[in-house]
Amino acid sequence: MIRKPSLRSVLPDVLLFALLLAAAAAFFFGGENTSGYPWQWYRISRYLLDRSETGWRWGPLMQGMGMTIALSGISLVLSCTIGITAALMRLSHSVVAAAISRGYTEFIRNTPLLVQLFFIYFVLGPILDIPKTTAAVTALSLFEGAYAGEIIRSGIAGIDKTQWESAYSLGMNLSQTYRWVILPQAIRRVLPPLTSQAVSLVKDSSLVSAIAVADLTLQGQIIIADTFLTFEIWFTVAAMYLIVTTSLSAAASWLEVRMDRSLRR
Amino acid sequence: MILAPSFRYRFINRIRRCFTRWTAFDMILLAILVATAAAVGWIVAIRLQYRWNWATLLEHIVRFDPNTDSLVPGALLRGLATTIRLSTWAMLAATPIGLAIALLRSSRRPFNRWTGRTFLELIRNTPPIVVIFIGYYFFSERLLSVFDVADTLQGLPESTLFLIEMGFGPRSHLPAFLSATASIAVIEAVYIAEIIRGGIRSIDHGQIEASDALGLNRLQQLRYVILPQAVRNILPPLSGQFVSTIKDSAIVSVISIPELCFQGTEIISATYLHFEVWITVTLMYAVLTFTLSYGISRLERRVRKHSGSALFDKRMAMG
Repeated sequence: MIRKPSLRSVLPDVLLFALLLAAAAAFFFGGENTSGYPWQWYRISRYLLDRSETGWRWGPLMQGMGMTIALSGISLVLSCTIGITAALMRLSHSVVAAAISRGYTEFIRNTPLLVQLFFIYFVLGPILDIPKTTAAVTALSLFEGAYAGEIIRSGIAGIDKTQWESAYSLGMNLSQTYRWVILPQAIRRVLPPLTSQAVSLVKDSSLVSAIAVADLTLQGQIIIADTFLTFEIWFTVAAMYLIVTTSLSAAASWLEVRMDRSLRR
Repeated sequence: MILAPSFRYRFINRIRRCFTRWTAFDMILLAILVATAAAVGWIVAIRLQYRWNWATLLEHIVRFDPNTDSLVPGALLRGLATTIRLSTWAMLAATPIGLAIALLRSSRRPFNRWTGRTFLELIRNTPPIVVIFIGYYFFSERLLSVFDVADTLQGLPESTLFLIEMGFGPRSHLPAFLSATASIAVIEAVYIAEIIRGGIRSIDHGQIEASDALGLNRLQQLRYVILPQAVRNILPPLSGQFVSTIKDSAIVSVISIPELCFQGTEIISATYLHFEVWITVTLMYAVLTFTLSYGISRLERRVRKHSGSALFDKRMAMG
């Protein structure tokens, strides 16, 4: 049995952890004397929120953040659509559909996203005549769609066989079974892993900077090239990503706990 | 004893089943697939008037050197070698780091758990590309200026240098290579930590209680009871992580490490062979990872067959 520790017994640990955080803060904000690096945090604010003659406006980092969120949002919707299609194709009785889905998933999962991005931008781009933002969204959606497809497939496969049989005995056809019986149950199972997939999507969207889409990472790189504020900018960029991804992660674990509870009931 | 149907019989049966299941829907899908491929081919050949030049590309994979009268690897093959080297070293470095994080996270002291968790969440929630940039500047500007790799290498004998070049690639790239390896190692360590922690958690709690009762301390418990049993659950996903490392290693091309993806961009800037290069690079990654995945799944099956767990489970079930 694991006993719940009393407040007094964890107090030394709390203090020690607070000390660790304080040391980290001193390293970042203590100036040159504590870390040996001349931190210039005061120069960062204007890249977040800039003041011009006409009033306040978002700085390049916030604009990049908007781009990152927009890219991830659109790709999330598209990748879920692709994922459901891929899962249904894989589970279907059609030989060709299953083969296409299998080939797509295996190919995407066995090559680096960066290479896929270059492939879509430089090879499919001229063929289909698509701009770089579209290429970025396509690559991200196809990439995450393969993973989402696997998640959804395992969610559907995890549903008890008796559910199919009962739906069949109620006289439902295949699409009715999916619509009313299988998918509503599957969604509850796949929502938590899909949310953590959204975290991956936000992280992976940083790669689009390689094809010069002006997301948060690229904006950071541009500012660094101008100002040489290497560490300040990279840590700010990392912190901005962290805010988005940790809140998504927190949502994922909250969902997981909730779904777990509702499934057990 | 029931004999399993022979492989050949099963294979024929499978193909026969494919054809009996073949429907009109399959025909339509296949037609769409063929039409798409034809449309792409038409655009490439007629509208873009693309002139394929595979001969030039072949020189970048492997070429004949008349001076030494032998075949020498081109940029792409050297890039592939760098990718494999980088992933291997990163994986070797990441496993102990991952083990350390996993032990921190499954520690009994809250301070250890919090520290492990904080590190894990910080790395896991930051994009790899940002971690690599931070790692690159940190290593190249802070660490390596203190500990000068180039100077250290100067003093070494030629035979040692040869070994170093075999393991880590050309010596001129060594500082960048090391910082890239370290960054990739830290990124993968976080995932390895979760794999190892899962393996540790999969151990029956009775084992830990039993070792407590025997008076083993925490270190002895890990060494003699937990890790030997956890390894069987850890090894398959750990080897799967190696495939992920190879894929993730493509990101280090942003800091100009001459690995496969970077070599691709370099060749393109010299030759403009966009189509050939990206098709080849994609296929090279795919072949590498598919081969590894296949090998891993074979290994996994063999381990499962030869490990005593099935027998043990059966005995347990019989009581």
